[in-house]
Amino acid sequence: MTNLERYDKLFMDAFRLAPEKLPGLKYRGIPEWDSVGHMDLMSAMEEAYGINISTPDLLSFSSYEAGKEILAKYGVEL
Amino acid sequence: MAELIICTEPLAGSNCYLLGEGGRCVVIDPGDAAAPLQTLGRLGWTPELVLLTHEHCDHMAGLEPLRGRWPRLRVVASALCSANLQSVRLNMSSMMEVYLTFHGHPGVRYPPFTCRPAEETYSAEYRRDWRGHRLRFVPLPGHTPGSAVIFWDEETLFSGDYLLPDGQPILRLPGGSEADYRAVTLPYLEQLPRGLLIHPGHGPSYRLGECPGNG
Repeated sequence: MTNLERYDKLFMDAFRLAPEKLPGLKYRGIPEWDSVGHMDLMSAMEEAYGINISTPDLLSFSSYEAGKEILAKYGVEL
Repeated sequence: MAELIICTEPLAGSNCYLLGEGGRCVVIDPGDAAAPLQTLGRLGWTPELVLLTHEHCDHMAGLEPLRGRWPRLRVVASALCSANLQSVRLNMSSMMEVYLTFHGHPGVRYPPFTCRPAEETYSAEYRRDWRGHRLRFVPLPGHTPGSAVIFWDEETLFSGDYLLPDGQPILRLPGGSEADYRAVTLPYLEQLPRGLLIHPGHGPSYRLGECPGNG
Protein backbone atom coordinates (compact mmCIF):
# COMPACT_ATOMS: atom_id res chain seq x y z
CA MET A 1 0.00 0.00 0.00
CA THR A 2 1.41 3.40 -0.93
CA ASN A 3 1.47 6.32 1.49
CA LEU A 4 -1.35 7.97 -0.45
CA GLU A 5 -3.48 4.82 -0.37
CA ARG A 6 -2.89 4.56 3.37
CA TYR A 7 -3.75 8.25 3.80
CA ASP A 8 -7.02 7.85 1.93
CA LYS A 9 -7.89 4.70 3.85
CA LEU A 10 -7.46 6.50 7.16
CA PHE A 11 -10.04 9.08 6.12
CA MET A 12 -12.38 6.46 4.69
CA ASP A 13 -12.18 4.29 7.81
CA ALA A 14 -12.51 7.19 10.23
CA PHE A 15 -15.46 8.81 8.52
CA ARG A 16 -16.95 5.93 6.49
CA LEU A 17 -16.51 7.79 3.23
CA ALA A 18 -16.17 6.70 -0.37
CA PRO A 19 -12.89 7.74 -2.02
CA GLU A 20 -14.58 10.24 -4.34
CA LYS A 21 -15.69 12.22 -1.28
CA LEU A 22 -12.14 12.91 -0.08
CA PRO A 23 -10.96 15.81 -2.34
CA GLY A 24 -12.10 19.08 -0.82
CA LEU A 25 -13.07 17.46 2.48
CA LYS A 26 -12.74 19.93 5.35
CA TYR A 27 -12.86 19.82 9.14
CA ARG A 28 -16.51 20.19 10.18
CA GLY A 29 -17.52 19.75 6.53
CA ILE A 30 -19.27 16.52 7.51
CA PRO A 31 -20.78 15.61 10.88
CA GLU A 32 -18.24 12.83 11.44
CA TRP A 33 -15.24 15.18 11.19
CA ASP A 34 -15.94 17.01 14.41
CA SER A 35 -13.55 17.50 17.31
CA VAL A 36 -13.84 13.86 18.41
CA GLY A 37 -13.44 12.60 14.85
CA HIS A 38 -10.43 14.88 14.44
CA MET A 39 -8.64 13.42 17.44
CA ASP A 40 -9.34 9.89 16.25
CA LEU A 41 -8.08 10.69 12.74
CA MET A 42 -4.95 12.45 13.97
CA SER A 43 -4.15 9.62 16.33
CA ALA A 44 -4.54 7.13 13.50
CA MET A 45 -2.27 9.26 11.27
CA GLU A 46 0.47 9.26 13.88
CA GLU A 47 0.24 5.54 14.36
CA ALA A 48 0.05 4.70 10.65
CA TYR A 49 3.14 6.70 9.71
CA GLY A 50 5.06 6.35 12.98
CA ILE A 51 5.31 10.08 13.55
CA ASN A 52 4.50 12.55 16.30
CA ILE A 53 2.70 15.57 14.90
CA SER A 54 3.06 18.79 16.87
CA THR A 55 -0.02 20.31 18.46
CA PRO A 56 -0.01 23.37 16.12
CA ASP A 57 0.13 21.04 13.12
CA LEU A 58 -2.61 18.82 14.56
CA LEU A 59 -4.77 21.91 14.85
CA SER A 60 -3.86 23.09 11.33
CA PHE A 61 -4.82 19.77 9.79
CA SER A 62 -8.07 21.30 8.59
CA SER A 63 -8.67 19.59 5.27
CA TYR A 64 -7.78 16.57 3.20
CA GLU A 65 -5.40 18.74 1.14
CA ALA A 66 -3.86 20.60 4.12
CA GLY A 67 -3.07 17.27 5.72
CA LYS A 68 -0.88 16.27 2.79
CA GLU A 69 1.25 19.37 3.23
CA ILE A 70 1.55 18.79 6.96
CA LEU A 71 2.57 15.17 6.56
CA ALA A 72 5.25 16.24 4.07
CA LYS A 73 6.87 18.23 6.91
CA TYR A 74 7.29 14.92 8.73
CA GLY A 75 8.85 13.18 5.76
CA VAL A 76 5.68 11.47 4.59
CA GLU A 77 5.46 12.03 0.85
CA LEU A 78 2.05 11.34 -0.64
CA MET B 1 -19.69 4.22 56.34
CA ALA B 2 -16.93 5.66 54.20
CA GLU B 3 -16.69 9.42 53.79
CA LEU B 4 -16.80 10.52 50.16
CA ILE B 5 -14.94 13.54 48.82
CA ILE B 6 -14.96 14.62 45.18
CA CYS B 7 -12.05 16.45 43.54
CA THR B 8 -12.85 17.73 40.05
CA GLU B 9 -9.92 18.12 37.68
CA PRO B 10 -10.01 21.71 36.38
CA LEU B 11 -9.26 21.22 32.66
CA ALA B 12 -11.40 18.30 31.55
CA GLY B 13 -13.78 18.42 34.50
CA SER B 14 -13.07 14.80 35.44
CA ASN B 15 -14.18 13.63 38.86
CA CYS B 16 -11.75 11.96 41.26
CA TYR B 17 -13.46 10.27 44.20
CA LEU B 18 -11.82 9.72 47.59
CA LEU B 19 -13.52 7.26 49.92
CA GLY B 20 -12.02 7.39 53.40
CA GLU B 21 -12.54 5.42 56.57
CA GLY B 22 -10.38 5.20 59.68
CA GLY B 23 -7.61 7.26 58.14
CA ARG B 24 -7.31 4.97 55.11
CA CYS B 25 -8.85 5.54 51.74
CA VAL B 26 -9.58 4.41 48.21
CA VAL B 27 -8.98 6.75 45.28
CA ILE B 28 -11.07 6.37 42.16
CA ASP B 29 -9.84 7.95 38.91
CA PRO B 30 -7.10 10.37 40.00
CA GLY B 31 -7.35 12.68 36.99
CA ASP B 32 -4.70 15.00 38.30
CA ALA B 33 -2.32 15.03 41.20
CA ALA B 34 -2.75 18.41 42.83
CA ALA B 35 -6.20 18.23 44.37
CA PRO B 36 -6.05 14.62 45.59
CA LEU B 37 -2.58 15.09 47.10
CA GLN B 38 -3.63 18.29 48.81
CA THR B 39 -6.88 16.80 50.10
CA LEU B 40 -5.28 13.58 51.32
CA GLY B 41 -2.60 15.59 53.09
CA ARG B 42 -5.14 17.88 54.74
CA LEU B 43 -7.26 14.97 55.95
CA GLY B 44 -4.33 12.78 56.91
CA TRP B 45 -5.70 9.91 54.87
CA THR B 46 -3.41 7.18 53.52
CA PRO B 47 -4.59 5.76 50.19
CA GLU B 48 -4.41 1.99 49.93
CA LEU B 49 -6.11 1.39 46.60
CA VAL B 50 -6.53 3.28 43.35
CA LEU B 51 -9.40 2.08 41.20
CA LEU B 52 -9.56 3.08 37.55
CA THR B 53 -12.71 3.17 35.44
CA HIS B 54 -10.69 3.46 32.24
CA GLU B 55 -7.37 4.37 30.72
CA HIS B 56 -7.89 7.95 29.56
CA CYS B 57 -5.37 10.42 30.89
CA ASP B 58 -7.96 12.76 32.40
CA HIS B 59 -8.84 9.90 34.75
CA MET B 60 -5.36 8.80 35.74
CA ALA B 61 -2.85 11.66 35.32
CA GLY B 62 -2.42 11.71 39.10
CA LEU B 63 -1.61 8.02 39.33
CA GLU B 64 2.18 8.10 39.21
CA PRO B 65 2.46 11.06 41.63
CA LEU B 66 0.28 9.12 44.09
CA ARG B 67 2.44 6.05 43.64
CA GLY B 68 5.49 8.20 44.23
CA ARG B 69 4.07 9.49 47.52
CA TRP B 70 2.64 6.13 48.66
CA PRO B 71 4.75 3.34 47.10
CA ARG B 72 2.64 0.52 48.64
CA LEU B 73 -0.47 1.69 46.83
CA ARG B 74 -2.22 -1.00 44.78
CA VAL B 75 -3.89 -0.08 41.52
CA VAL B 76 -6.90 -2.10 40.37
CA ALA B 77 -7.97 -1.89 36.73
CA SER B 78 -9.18 -4.09 33.93
CA ALA B 79 -6.39 -5.89 32.11
CA LEU B 80 -6.98 -3.85 28.97
CA CYS B 81 -7.04 -0.61 30.93
CA SER B 82 -3.77 -1.59 32.57
CA ALA B 83 -2.19 -2.32 29.20
CA ASN B 84 -3.48 0.87 27.63
CA LEU B 85 -2.17 3.07 30.44
CA GLN B 86 1.16 2.43 28.77
CA SER B 87 0.15 3.86 25.36
CA VAL B 88 0.11 7.61 24.75
CA ARG B 89 -2.32 6.96 21.90
CA LEU B 90 -4.80 4.85 23.81
CA ASN B 91 -4.54 6.84 27.03
CA MET B 92 -5.22 9.91 24.86
CA SER B 93 -2.43 11.99 26.38
CA SER B 94 -0.94 12.48 22.89
CA MET B 95 -4.14 14.29 21.87
CA MET B 96 -4.86 16.09 25.11
CA GLU B 97 -3.55 19.49 23.99
CA VAL B 98 -5.86 19.26 20.96
CA TYR B 99 -8.76 18.23 23.19
CA LEU B 100 -8.11 21.11 25.56
CA THR B 101 -7.90 23.59 22.68
CA PHE B 102 -11.27 22.38 21.40
CA HIS B 103 -12.70 22.74 24.90
CA GLY B 104 -11.63 26.28 25.67
CA HIS B 105 -8.13 25.80 27.02
CA PRO B 106 -5.79 26.72 24.14
CA GLY B 107 -2.10 26.89 24.87
CA VAL B 108 -2.13 24.58 27.88
CA ARG B 109 0.92 22.33 27.94
CA TYR B 110 0.01 18.67 28.45
CA PRO B 111 2.97 16.49 27.49
CA PRO B 112 2.11 12.90 26.55
CA PHE B 113 2.82 10.37 29.29
CA THR B 114 2.31 6.76 30.25
CA CYS B 115 1.74 4.98 33.55
CA ARG B 116 3.02 1.70 34.87
CA PRO B 117 0.56 -1.19 34.74
CA ALA B 118 -1.89 -1.93 37.52
CA GLU B 119 -0.91 -4.30 40.31
CA GLU B 120 -4.28 -6.05 40.23
CA THR B 121 -6.14 -6.72 36.99
CA TYR B 122 -9.23 -8.56 35.82
CA SER B 123 -10.72 -9.61 32.51
CA ALA B 124 -14.21 -10.58 33.66
CA GLU B 125 -16.45 -9.46 36.49
CA TYR B 126 -14.25 -9.20 39.57
CA ARG B 127 -14.95 -8.84 43.27
CA ARG B 128 -12.74 -7.88 46.17
CA ASP B 129 -13.19 -6.31 49.57
CA TRP B 130 -11.71 -3.24 51.11
CA ARG B 131 -12.04 -2.91 54.88
CA GLY B 132 -15.39 -4.66 54.89
CA HIS B 133 -16.74 -2.89 51.82
CA ARG B 134 -17.69 -4.99 48.83
CA LEU B 135 -16.28 -3.81 45.52
CA ARG B 136 -17.43 -5.24 42.21
CA PHE B 137 -15.86 -4.42 38.89
CA VAL B 138 -17.63 -5.02 35.57
CA PRO B 139 -15.65 -4.60 32.34
CA LEU B 140 -17.76 -2.71 29.82
CA PRO B 141 -16.01 -1.87 26.53
CA GLY B 142 -17.10 0.82 24.12
CA HIS B 143 -15.84 4.14 25.38
CA THR B 144 -12.43 2.49 25.60
CA PRO B 145 -11.37 -1.16 25.41
CA GLY B 146 -10.50 -1.12 29.13
CA SER B 147 -13.57 0.64 30.49
CA ALA B 148 -15.33 -0.73 33.55
CA VAL B 149 -17.87 0.32 36.12
CA ILE B 150 -17.30 -0.15 39.83
CA PHE B 151 -19.95 -0.99 42.41
CA TRP B 152 -19.39 0.02 46.03
CA ASP B 153 -21.40 -2.12 48.46
CA GLU B 154 -23.93 -2.63 45.67
CA GLU B 155 -25.45 0.74 46.60
CA THR B 156 -23.33 3.07 44.54
CA LEU B 157 -21.89 2.88 41.06
CA PHE B 158 -18.80 4.68 39.84
CA SER B 159 -19.62 4.78 36.16
CA GLY B 160 -16.57 6.43 34.59
CA ASP B 161 -17.49 7.91 31.23
CA TYR B 162 -20.77 5.96 31.01
CA LEU B 163 -24.05 7.24 32.41
CA LEU B 164 -22.85 10.82 32.23
CA PRO B 165 -25.59 13.14 33.42
CA ASP B 166 -25.49 15.35 30.37
CA GLY B 167 -25.26 13.01 27.46
CA GLN B 168 -24.25 9.89 25.64
CA PRO B 169 -20.81 8.27 25.97
CA ILE B 170 -18.17 9.05 23.39
CA LEU B 171 -17.40 5.94 21.36
CA ARG B 172 -15.25 7.34 18.54
CA LEU B 173 -11.95 8.03 20.28
CA PRO B 174 -9.00 5.70 19.64
CA GLY B 175 -9.92 2.21 20.83
CA GLY B 176 -13.58 3.09 21.15
CA SER B 177 -16.17 0.76 19.69
CA GLU B 178 -19.83 1.43 19.06
CA ALA B 179 -20.28 -2.26 18.25
CA ASP B 180 -18.92 -3.35 21.64
CA TYR B 181 -21.00 -0.70 23.37
CA ARG B 182 -24.20 -1.87 21.72
CA ALA B 183 -23.47 -5.57 22.13
CA VAL B 184 -22.17 -5.62 25.70
CA THR B 185 -22.36 -2.36 27.56
CA LEU B 186 -25.67 -0.79 26.69
CA PRO B 187 -27.70 -3.92 27.58
CA TYR B 188 -25.87 -4.07 30.91
CA LEU B 189 -26.44 -0.42 31.73
CA GLU B 190 -30.08 -0.62 30.74
CA GLN B 191 -30.82 -3.29 33.34
CA LEU B 192 -29.37 -1.36 36.26
CA PRO B 193 -31.97 -0.64 38.94
CA ARG B 194 -33.65 2.73 39.12
CA GLY B 195 -32.56 4.63 42.18
CA LEU B 196 -28.96 3.37 42.04
CA LEU B 197 -26.64 6.19 43.10
CA ILE B 198 -24.38 7.10 40.17
CA HIS B 199 -21.05 8.85 40.59
CA PRO B 200 -20.05 9.64 37.00
CA GLY B 201 -16.64 10.51 35.62
CA HIS B 202 -17.86 13.98 34.73
CA GLY B 203 -20.69 16.03 36.18
CA PRO B 204 -22.76 15.75 39.33
CA SER B 205 -23.89 12.58 41.04
CA TYR B 206 -27.48 11.51 40.66
CA ARG B 207 -29.83 8.58 41.15
CA LEU B 208 -30.62 6.50 38.10
CA GLY B 209 -34.00 7.47 36.77
CA GLU B 210 -33.89 10.91 38.30
CA CYS B 211 -31.55 12.64 35.85
CA PRO B 212 -33.01 14.54 32.90
CA GLY B 213 -30.05 13.72 30.64
CA ASN B 214 -29.78 10.06 31.48
CA GLY B 215 -33.01 8.51 32.28
